[in-house]
Amino acid sequence: MLYDLRHSDLRVRWLVTLLLATLGTSYLFGAWMVGLYAGFSPQKVGETYGPSGEAPMVMQMPPETTMVTERPVSMAEMGEEQHHVDLNLLVQDTHVHMPMYAVIAAALSVIVLGLALPRGLGLGLIALLFAAPWLDFAGMWLTKCVSPSFAILTLAGGWAMALGYTIVAALATYQMWWRKPGPHPLTSSPRRGEGERNLRSGDSTP
Amino acid sequence: MRTLLLGAVIAALLHITPTVIMVKRQDAVAHLLPGADQFAARELHLSSGDSKKLHDAVGWEPPDGVVTFYVGKHGDQTMGALIFMRVDCQHGPIELAIGYDQKGEVRGVEVTKATVEMKPWILEALRAGLTNSYNGMAITQAPSGAEKVKPQIGAMPGYMAELVDKGVMHANAAYRLFYR
Repeated sequence: MLYDLRHSDLRVRWLVTLLLATLGTSYLFGAWMVGLYAGFSPQKVGETYGPSGEAPMVMQMPPETTMVTERPVSMAEMGEEQHHVDLNLLVQDTHVHMPMYAVIAAALSVIVLGLALPRGLGLGLIALLFAAPWLDFAGMWLTKCVSPSFAILTLAGGWAMALGYTIVAALATYQMWWRKPGPHPLTSSPRRGEGERNLRSGDSTP
Repeated sequence: MRTLLLGAVIAALLHITPTVIMVKRQDAVAHLLPGADQFAARELHLSSGDSKKLHDAVGWEPPDGVVTFYVGKHGDQTMGALIFMRVDCQHGPIELAIGYDQKGEVRGVEVTKATVEMKPWILEALRAGLTNSYNGMAITQAPSGAEKVKPQIGAMPGYMAELVDKGVMHANAAYRLFYR
């Protein structure tokens, strides 16, 4: 374990708690925004990120001569904008959001490093935190360039992001504030003082 | 840790701020198509040749190949047309509503959307009278709103004014070439 949140200074635990609260709040607003602009069904996501922004596979090739259609619309319909992410906006979104997602995944991973977890579980959790944004954007790009059915990947990425955050937040909050701290894993050892000596010398072998 | 913090700061600086509504679309429609109580969406699915013609004229073509005009009517009488035009820049998108009267002249221009960051710059340009200069202009005329307000405003509001000019130019070209 690189550090132990259960035994960390009160200020560190306070920092982690506030970070988690802030990220949780931003995730809630993120979900709200997704609901407003893209939706939670594969069909809605496909329409938002799909190649035409209309019903999938409609009018993708320009007609031989310009076609004009006219249909009555209400004032309310003119006000409602079908939010569609075109290629340029998707490039911009990817450029802007990927670094931020990386920073968030890294911050949550640093918290994971301080949790008392089996090594494999820690690795899996870190992988989940980084896989979520990759799935999210891979889904968007594949929906745009290959097929609207890849919208399911974007949904999976969003849910994976929520799942990763929930697991880290729940474990960290429990271990920092509720779980009764056991012996310090970085300083205790079967023989008194041995752990400290090993840490000082950098020797991790028994 | 320092790299992490630096990364967070850079990411925050690069982040495009959220969109804000400057004028509700319905209000823009009411202002730019006065008297109209029935509306129709006229969608022009441009052929490759027409897209190229538009691109050659103003260096722009709609990304999805569709230009939509909203026609306002009162009874049998056409009151005018309106188009929503988006202009992108590195600070995010802005959306304009450009209205045309029955004679085919520009009735008015409204900035309907911008980003949080761009809003004060756009407001400064609007306060300097940017959109007044488009009222009644012929569609063959090059928009010159930015040129008129630039001496009275800062650099970024001046840049915003140029973007609005650009959007009006795109809309005028679409109207001139394809609106029947």
